[in-house]
Amino acid sequence: MHVRVRRGWEIPEREATPEEVFLRRRRLIAGLAAAPALLAGARLLTRPAFADAVEDPSAGLYPATQNPKYLLDRPLTAEADATSWNNFYEFGSSKDVVEEAQALPIRPWMVKIDGLVEQEIEIGIDDLLKQMPLEERLYRHRCVEAWSMAVPWSGFPLASLVAFARPTGDARYLKMTTFMNPEVAPGQQVIWYPWPYVEGLTMAEATNELAFIATGFYGKPIPKQNGAPLRLVVPWKYGFKSIKSIVQFSFVAERPVGFWEALQESEYGFWANVNPEVPHPRWSQATERQLTTDERVPTLLFNGYADYVADLYKGLENERLYA
Amino acid sequence: MPWRDRSGRFSPFKATVFLALFLPALWIAYGYLSGTIGALRLMESLRDIGNWGLRLLLISLAVTPLRKSLQWPQLIQVRRMIGVAAFAYIATHFLLYVIDQSFDIGKVASEILLRIYLTIGFVALLGLSALAATSTDAMLRRLGGRRWQRLHRIVYGIALLGIIHFFMQTKADVTEPTVMAGLFGWLMGYRLLVWLRSDGARPSPLAVAGLSIAAAVATGAGEALYFWLKTGVDPLRVLALDFSLQLGLRPVWWVLLIGLAVALAAVIRSIGAAGRRDARRRKLGVEAPSA
Repeated sequence: MHVRVRRGWEIPEREATPEEVFLRRRRLIAGLAAAPALLAGARLLTRPAFADAVEDPSAGLYPATQNPKYLLDRPLTAEADATSWNNFYEFGSSKDVVEEAQALPIRPWMVKIDGLVEQEIEIGIDDLLKQMPLEERLYRHRCVEAWSMAVPWSGFPLASLVAFARPTGDARYLKMTTFMNPEVAPGQQVIWYPWPYVEGLTMAEATNELAFIATGFYGKPIPKQNGAPLRLVVPWKYGFKSIKSIVQFSFVAERPVGFWEALQESEYGFWANVNPEVPHPRWSQATERQLTTDERVPTLLFNGYADYVADLYKGLENERLYA
Repeated sequence: MPWRDRSGRFSPFKATVFLALFLPALWIAYGYLSGTIGALRLMESLRDIGNWGLRLLLISLAVTPLRKSLQWPQLIQVRRMIGVAAFAYIATHFLLYVIDQSFDIGKVASEILLRIYLTIGFVALLGLSALAATSTDAMLRRLGGRRWQRLHRIVYGIALLGIIHFFMQTKADVTEPTVMAGLFGWLMGYRLLVWLRSDGARPSPLAVAGLSIAAAVATGAGEALYFWLKTGVDPLRVLALDFSLQLGLRPVWWVLLIGLAVALAAVIRSIGAAGRRDARRRKLGVEAPSA
């Protein structure tokens, strides 16, 4: 007998919310909240002009069309919360780095693609954006500190960037690096941190359909504190893997050592896949506190994305996959 | 009543301190209610209230040094009040943790047993509870002054546990716990200076200044050693950073400036006290000894 295992995004037609209802509901929620541009659906209807986004040359690219495959099981986090509760140690160790992060110049922004590739590429962010298929996805985001959000990212699949980069067959890992500019990022003057921030994925992870490069947030160019102008989003892993403000993609043979892994290997490993059963050395990961709702909810294996990514870890059971 | 002195009269000094002890809590409550504290209000409040509890505990430990060096005996009137406030803050800190865990007492208990920094914090809270419970006049009488004092000396250990708890729960930026550890060292060093004197009198302002320098040096050296062991960064580079001020006031300077401020206040106070003594003598028609 053929048993078809339904994957996470595959819901029967009858369960799908009719578009009209979907939009109406979103308008209602958005109406209740103070910010009219809170939700993607409402945004499509109202399209407010944002003064701060006008200067950004990529502002016209958003909102991108939403990919209906990636939806949520929980309410969207309020934009005001998602853009004011940030871990961005380059700008300080508190969650409130909005003001400090505004010092980061994001144009011109050159992205270097190097290492085991057919040809090294150096490309400006706006040229890169022209070559990439932009879309919006709603993802859960689970921080290792046991809080979470549910947010609309705009951007392109990391797999598209990998294809663009044309890595050779020897490439086993993708190493990503954040800008290094202690002049504008005072956190980078703290010399006992292993700057610049580095993160890595296996090639299989990097080309998994979920792996995403975000360049927009809530239908606008992504704010600096959230990792402008481009950041990684790997929603099945703890948030620290999703490196911000990337300037370099290197295809390498050796497993890169991430920023937090270098700082505290026992607490922040290379794999860092979300698993409620495996506690952090200092706290349980069984539950998470959501921004905006301020509720504590159970954490899901692979942050609820097991259907998409569990296969990636077959045969790797001896690795410390969940920390 | 916390605003009356021993004779039952209204004491503006005690009343002021009593009200001031509510200010941090009110500030945190305002931040919580207005949302300015941050998106995860409960987590931030939990952290802030614990932080203030520890600060108050250190302030209560500063009463004796300030009383002696500043020749300000009335300060003893507010020591117990500050200690009880520290307990109230830290008990609230624990209560917020229980709320954060959705009142799942089983989870709270298992977390306290499993996570060593929570075990340490909880032991400190238990100790502090014992001190709070024996903080009334009736209990003081029942225990007798000497036994009461001996019991209340465990506050030194409690403060140390609190600082260790703060260190261990910090993810990466240990600036604040480092400042607290340095100040705790200063407070204990002050007691050592008193103990070393045969007459048990207050140490001279010069000795306090020396202690402040020693505590600051220990803070800086301890910090450099900590980062060297943890991340392998050259300790000399960490020390050099202390002098660059590019990261703002580093823990070394906090400890040094607070310590030296006490020494300076002691000098000013001594001059003032000598002046008052002379004035009193003149009033009584006694020649000042130097004249």
